[in-house]
Amino acid sequence: MNTIVCVKQVLDPEIPPAKFKIDAEAKQVIPPPGVPPVISVYDERAVEAACRLKDKHKGKITVISMGSAKASDVIKHAISMGADDGFVLQDEAFENLDSFGTAYVLGKAIQKIGGYDLVLCGRQAADWGAGQVGSILAEILGIPVVTLAFAIEAVDKKLRVKRVLNDGYEVLEAPMPSLITVSSEIGLPRLPGGMGLMLARKKQIPVWKAKDIGAESSQLDKAKAHTEVTSLSVPTRKTECELITGGTPGEAGVNLALKLIKLI
Amino acid sequence: MSPVSATYWGIPGYVIFWVLFAIAFGLFAQRFYFLFRLMRLGKQENRFDRIGERIKTMLVEVVPQWCTLKTVTKKDLAGIGHALLFWCFSLFFISYIIFIGLAGGFGLSPLIERTPFETIYFSILDIAAVLVTLTLIVAAFRRYIIRVQRLEPSAEAGIILMMVFSLMVLHVFGVGFDHASRGVHTSWPPLGATLAGFLTGTGLSQGTLETASRGVWWLHYLVILSFMVYIPRSKHLHILASLVNAFFKQLGPKVVLEPIPLEALEAPEGSATFGVSKIQDFTWKDLLDLYACAVCGRCHVNCPAQLTGKSLSPREIIHNLKEHLLEAGPELLANKAEASPESQVETPSKTMIGDVVTEEEIWACTTCGACQEVCPVNIEHIRKIIDLRRNLVMTQSKMPESAQLMLRNMQQRGHPWAGVQSMRLRGDWTSDLELKILAEGDTADTLFWVGCTGALVERNVKATLSMTRVLKAAGVDFAVLGDAETCCGDPARRAGYEFQFQMMAEQNIENFKSHNVKEIITTCPHCYNTIKHEYPRYGGDFKVGHYTELIADFIKQGKLKLTNELNSTLTYHDPCYLGRYNSVYLEPRQILQEIPKAKLEEMERSRDTGFCCGGGGGLMWIEEQPGTTKINQMRIEDVLKTGVETVVTACPYCLQMFEDAIDHKEIKDSLKARDLVELVEGAMKQP
Repeated sequence: MNTIVCVKQVLDPEIPPAKFKIDAEAKQVIPPPGVPPVISVYDERAVEAACRLKDKHKGKITVISMGSAKASDVIKHAISMGADDGFVLQDEAFENLDSFGTAYVLGKAIQKIGGYDLVLCGRQAADWGAGQVGSILAEILGIPVVTLAFAIEAVDKKLRVKRVLNDGYEVLEAPMPSLITVSSEIGLPRLPGGMGLMLARKKQIPVWKAKDIGAESSQLDKAKAHTEVTSLSVPTRKTECELITGGTPGEAGVNLALKLIKLI
Repeated sequence: MSPVSATYWGIPGYVIFWVLFAIAFGLFAQRFYFLFRLMRLGKQENRFDRIGERIKTMLVEVVPQWCTLKTVTKKDLAGIGHALLFWCFSLFFISYIIFIGLAGGFGLSPLIERTPFETIYFSILDIAAVLVTLTLIVAAFRRYIIRVQRLEPSAEAGIILMMVFSLMVLHVFGVGFDHASRGVHTSWPPLGATLAGFLTGTGLSQGTLETASRGVWWLHYLVILSFMVYIPRSKHLHILASLVNAFFKQLGPKVVLEPIPLEALEAPEGSATFGVSKIQDFTWKDLLDLYACAVCGRCHVNCPAQLTGKSLSPREIIHNLKEHLLEAGPELLANKAEASPESQVETPSKTMIGDVVTEEEIWACTTCGACQEVCPVNIEHIRKIIDLRRNLVMTQSKMPESAQLMLRNMQQRGHPWAGVQSMRLRGDWTSDLELKILAEGDTADTLFWVGCTGALVERNVKATLSMTRVLKAAGVDFAVLGDAETCCGDPARRAGYEFQFQMMAEQNIENFKSHNVKEIITTCPHCYNTIKHEYPRYGGDFKVGHYTELIADFIKQGKLKLTNELNSTLTYHDPCYLGRYNSVYLEPRQILQEIPKAKLEEMERSRDTGFCCGGGGGLMWIEEQPGTTKINQMRIEDVLKTGVETVVTACPYCLQMFEDAIDHKEIKDSLKARDLVELVEGAMKQP
């Protein structure tokens, strides 16, 4: 079973909130110094899902990431977890693309790799959180999509997927190939084992430019982007504290209950 | 006439003597060879270097009994008993060779028997017999009446005690019956002569006494032979194995972890395993360790995990591994004989991790080294536990979730602290300070290596800032790496994530070299130990100093004057990786003595018997298992017993652990935890 996983390198979500800085004018995040970027947490779970399928059915896992040249780090991370191969898609023309542009580039690379039974993405990226690339990519590739999966089984050439719902889950079946986006409910991704660490260390990760995957510049034109960031701000958090009192603890409790009823 | 010269039922005594000896020696050799072959199942390891030093170490440890005498404390005097037994029994052992072997077996009795030499030697043996008997009584009393915590009252111990006791009695009876049967009247050797007097007084016939004398002689001989047969079949194998183990002991740093050989990676895909999952994955030296164990339990009563009610006991780990080796051994040897030399030795029926050593035990170890420090027979417990962790982490991917989170952080973020609330960013602490921060291409002779905890955790940053001010006051020209510093790799290594450690070590060494660093100053004893002792294996030879050594030097050279009064009572907690691992006990105390009005009270467990804070071995981040209490709280109890106002340490982990324990106990107002460097800064004449 051959799987292609799309992963993104993001600013470490573990940095303390106080250290999160943006450039509102340029509508960009300013990465704090000395904090290495990491694989997006949902994408790491997509790799985990691919590895679980490989543990059971064998096959090959190929990982692609669009980003800077440093994105080879997240490819190597995926390889240390159990992926076999990986490519970085890096080109000046790929910078600051919206979800549609990103899906186009990923689609081109996937078509170049070919021979896949399954494409996996994270449910959304841990930085911008748009959650659109997966669905658009499926559209481009012309294959079915199942979002928010937390368990994937391959049964009789079909993919049986458990999909997260607000109040439970549903089980869906999709043909191969399909695209599935993976949710965090799948569980903690594995820690790379000894062999994985050493394999990843030695691996050379090729970089594909626009011309390598045959991406047309007309499709990468930012002026034609479907979405635009109009403003960027850090949410302000306000905390108001009111002490609720009463003559006895019982009265205080009653007052608290009354206050809560009003707020609801 | 020696009893051997007589004839028994038509068979010459000599024949009986040598037949019995051949049987006993055969049984001894058979077992010995079996144990030797089992040991050879282990992986290779070179312990044949520095032969001269090894012989010397062995003699120094064994002959003067430093091995057990070093463990004597006010509460545990058993080491003295062991030394007495060893010396006295050595005299008996020599006597068996001379008076039974040479005199009996080789027919040299005319040269030896009834000579002044024999009288003198036997008289000395009389004293030895009394001492041994008294020691045996104490030993039996401790095992079966008081039931000392560290000793398991096993049947084996009882058999040996009885055997040794009977040897003492038979020595005295031998002399007594011999003298009585020959009508000798002397007062030497005192015990034998007294018995002879008594026997003569009983009016027994000459013939009866002669027969009895021969009987006693042969019985004595039989007990000695059975002793020889029994030794390699019981825990008293340690008599032989500990001697050999002292020869092969780890020279140099006390706790050394071996890198994983790179051949492990060349196994066909999917078959590569790391660390130890089967008994034969240990090295032969590890297996020899198992033979050397006498189950004395000193490790058991010094292990912080065991004392706080965790399932881990170093004694049980070693003992259970030994039992497992002996049980699985015949099967393994048979498989080895059948298999071609290249193929792997088959797995025995028991799964070692799980059935013999549990995962809970493996993850409870703080690597504090108390077990190894106190072990009289040089067993290396810690590297075995780390080898088991290596397998769990790198091959089986089985570990507590907290361990996995920490290791993920090490792998992805280059430090173990991510996700901690008070976490700062790596370079934050350098802001507002005029420091030389090394950029690419810059060089510096002296680097102040801050360490993750000192750079990232609020409380520890304070100590880091004190350190920079102390260094400046002493006029040290130093640089820091700022946000380019990463972890030294210690937490990854202790948690069994060896390859991650190796990558970090190589990267750091390369980084140091690119800045032309010659000397590294550390505040964290874990970084200190790692860079000093473990980086050289990866090509990183730097002069590494812990700040306590440095500051003690500054004071001696007059570069630093501590003049401000502290007005506090304090106790010093020895960090394991500074004390036991590196024997830096003196310097911190010298510094404290220089601080005016700082009154130092020692805890009962200090220096080499210091008690862990609970934070080593990766356990700073790995959740402590439920037990009777937490290790840091038990240590704070030690501090409270001294009644001081401040507990001083020189390690960021210890500081963290103490702050936690003090918070938990809600005793913030009466007890403060401080890093030594903070006190130094406070006592320094401010410029």
